[in-house]
Amino acid sequence: MLEFKHVSYHYPATPPVIPDLSFKIEKGEFVALAGSNGAGKSTISRLSNGLLLPSSGEVTVGGFNTKTTRASQIARKVAFLFQNPDRQICQNTVREEVSFGMRVQGFPEEEIKARTEAALETFSLNGDWSPFTRSRGERQRIALASVLAGKPELVILDEPTTGLDYKECTAIMDHIAKLNREEGLTILMVCHDMELIQSYAGRVLVLNRGTLLGDGPTRQIMKDRELLSKARLRPAQIPNLALRLGAGFEDVYTVDEMAALLQKRAGHKEGEE
Amino acid sequence: MNLLQYQPGNSFLHRLNPITKLAAAFLYGAACIISGNLFLVTALIILMILIAATAGLGGRALRLTRNLLILGALMFIIQLFFVRSGDPLLVTGGFVWVTTGGLVSALLLSLRVVAAMLPLMLLFAITEISDLCGALVKKLHVPYRYAFIVTTAFRFVPLFTSEFHDIEDAQRARGVEYDTRNIVKKVQLVAPLFVPLLTSSLRKVDAGAISAEVRGFNLRTYNSGYQQYPFHLADGAAVVLLVALIVVSAVL
Amino acid sequence: MIQFNECSFRYQGGSHNALDGISLTIEDGAFVGVTGASGAGKSTLTYAVNGLIPHHFSGDFYGSVLVNGLDTVEVKPEELSRFVGEVFQDIDSQMVSSVVEDEILFGMENFGVPHEEIGRRLQQTLSLLGIEELRRRQINSLSGGQKQKVAIAAILAMRPDVILLDEPTGELDPESSVMIFELLKTLNREFHKTVVVVEQKIMLLCSYVDRIILMENGHIAFDGPTAAVAGEADLFRAQGINIPRVTELGEKLTGMGLYHGALPLTLDGGEKMVREVLADA
Repeated sequence: MLEFKHVSYHYPATPPVIPDLSFKIEKGEFVALAGSNGAGKSTISRLSNGLLLPSSGEVTVGGFNTKTTRASQIARKVAFLFQNPDRQICQNTVREEVSFGMRVQGFPEEEIKARTEAALETFSLNGDWSPFTRSRGERQRIALASVLAGKPELVILDEPTTGLDYKECTAIMDHIAKLNREEGLTILMVCHDMELIQSYAGRVLVLNRGTLLGDGPTRQIMKDRELLSKARLRPAQIPNLALRLGAGFEDVYTVDEMAALLQKRAGHKEGEE
Repeated sequence: MNLLQYQPGNSFLHRLNPITKLAAAFLYGAACIISGNLFLVTALIILMILIAATAGLGGRALRLTRNLLILGALMFIIQLFFVRSGDPLLVTGGFVWVTTGGLVSALLLSLRVVAAMLPLMLLFAITEISDLCGALVKKLHVPYRYAFIVTTAFRFVPLFTSEFHDIEDAQRARGVEYDTRNIVKKVQLVAPLFVPLLTSSLRKVDAGAISAEVRGFNLRTYNSGYQQYPFHLADGAAVVLLVALIVVSAVL
Repeated sequence: MIQFNECSFRYQGGSHNALDGISLTIEDGAFVGVTGASGAGKSTLTYAVNGLIPHHFSGDFYGSVLVNGLDTVEVKPEELSRFVGEVFQDIDSQMVSSVVEDEILFGMENFGVPHEEIGRRLQQTLSLLGIEELRRRQINSLSGGQKQKVAIAAILAMRPDVILLDEPTGELDPESSVMIFELLKTLNREFHKTVVVVEQKIMLLCSYVDRIILMENGHIAFDGPTAAVAGEADLFRAQGINIPRVTELGEKLTGMGLYHGALPLTLDGGEKMVREVLADA
């Protein structure tokens, strides 16, 4: 779905933000790109859909090479949700906003209508609202509905939960996770919230100063304290607790697993007595 | 854009009082405009580049000169066809297109534009806007309110630029193509972007105003500033030199 | 000391009260966290303390707010800012200068702090925050965490008794967020500042503040010592607050009859709990 082949990127007359990066994301994966601020996450997400072009190497997405394909063509397959919905929203009603992307991408009018109404329904939005007067959480939902309405194959989320409270955040993430599960939508989520990553992502790319430090299943990466600390990150709370407890807790990852293990231990003891 | 950005340094030029720098830039420009001598104006451009080089800004001065020459060339062409004095130079079918007087005055005008603008633009490279405004308030008692508006405007330029780029990116990611050559279409595409830009700008300006207000903006007087901007011998010398330059260019 | 007496406020044109009958006292030297869903009135609460309500934002104001005995309706925000300083939510737009040093000087200059005193305070503030080397730097060249430190320094230099912060870690990564909270702790413990911090990241609050206020539609849904939050987890969940995973684990273990102590809120507390369970088993 998305592949970086020896990609480097640098702004004019500065050391490279990305020295040499290669990775591949398959269709249907939910991948988190984790790293602290300044690790190059935004650059990578913008390289992924052709907003930026690599200084050297190649990025292919949905079968397109970003160097030789127009951004508008890529936009039909790759959606991008920005951190701040206010940068995207520019239409007077929610309905116009949701249909805007499809309109500029040249979808047939009837299809636009049908998909817009479907997206409004899915995201519980009222098409007649003025997007500017809605709350931040609702604006983020409007922005999401708008980028997903055209049924892209890959969606890039750029720190999607900044400025949202936990309730709004889970509402949005649950929608995305559902699309990933049920429709095989591929997700690349740029994020530094390890709890969120643990809850949703199946695989994590750990990034520091434009270099990939680690790439693996979330469960495995979450247990690698050394790797995460190199990227100035920490494991989520329960994996971290398991690490602190040491031997015997290597396989514990969630609240339920921790409780189950402790119950088993208690049961064993009682059995011995 | 970054041709107007402040470049920190500790050269002779950097260390001059901000007011001296401002005055010097204007005086130098005035000398170029007063002069009717093509060679002197050309020499002043070259001299300005050399002066800039002493502050490590030679490269920037050259680039600025190049950009200003484009503007100059435009004015050259307009002036060339509008001034009709002296002998005819280019005649086709009995119609006089260009005259010698037109050529000289066009050349002079375009070089003057370059020579007079160059020092003003280099001023921003060696002066922090906040220092310039601070000195104007402290020494010339310019009302702080105006100085604050100017510094804020300058400070917001890069903020707005990056905001605009982000907004444009968000739309490009949805498939809007801004690289069209059709100017009408381009306007149609860019116009809606001003809605989010305006919304976010107003929000930022209001937040800035609140932050200034609660930190006692309204209590400020011209004497509040902590930074001192003393005049030194070098400042006097610079002004004397520039006045001399004006005299020279008026005479030549 | 800050005292809210039956305070209500409705923004002009607003459909409901942003603050709704708030009564609360914050003692000198307190370290308080304010949390709640978006639109619950958290920012508005801070505006009521520094006088932006009712002086900057117009609307209907009922009841009273006293800051060090001064009624916020009667004195202007700049008068109040001698006692209360606020670090606002948007880091970039609250800056008034392009250079770090000027930003920190701004408030002191305006309030007419004598110039020899200004120099001393500038130095002290820079070194307290560990940003001496940033003194002449352009603010827009700094990282988010550094900018936040500059914003805090600009407020601290004015020597307020109370520091309000509105989601100071909103745009920061985990490491910088912890750094800011460590700093707030130092200000509270060593410099005896009253610190009131609005924050979504409940896990940070639980690890640092002494008291937590939960807001819901303009009123206070919970107000108590941080340790009491675990016992009221459902109240917080109902407001969409992300209860720490170790607290959830504690609830589960209590439900299974494996644990009988107080529910933990932090990683340290969680470790202690599990070790207790293991020892009992």
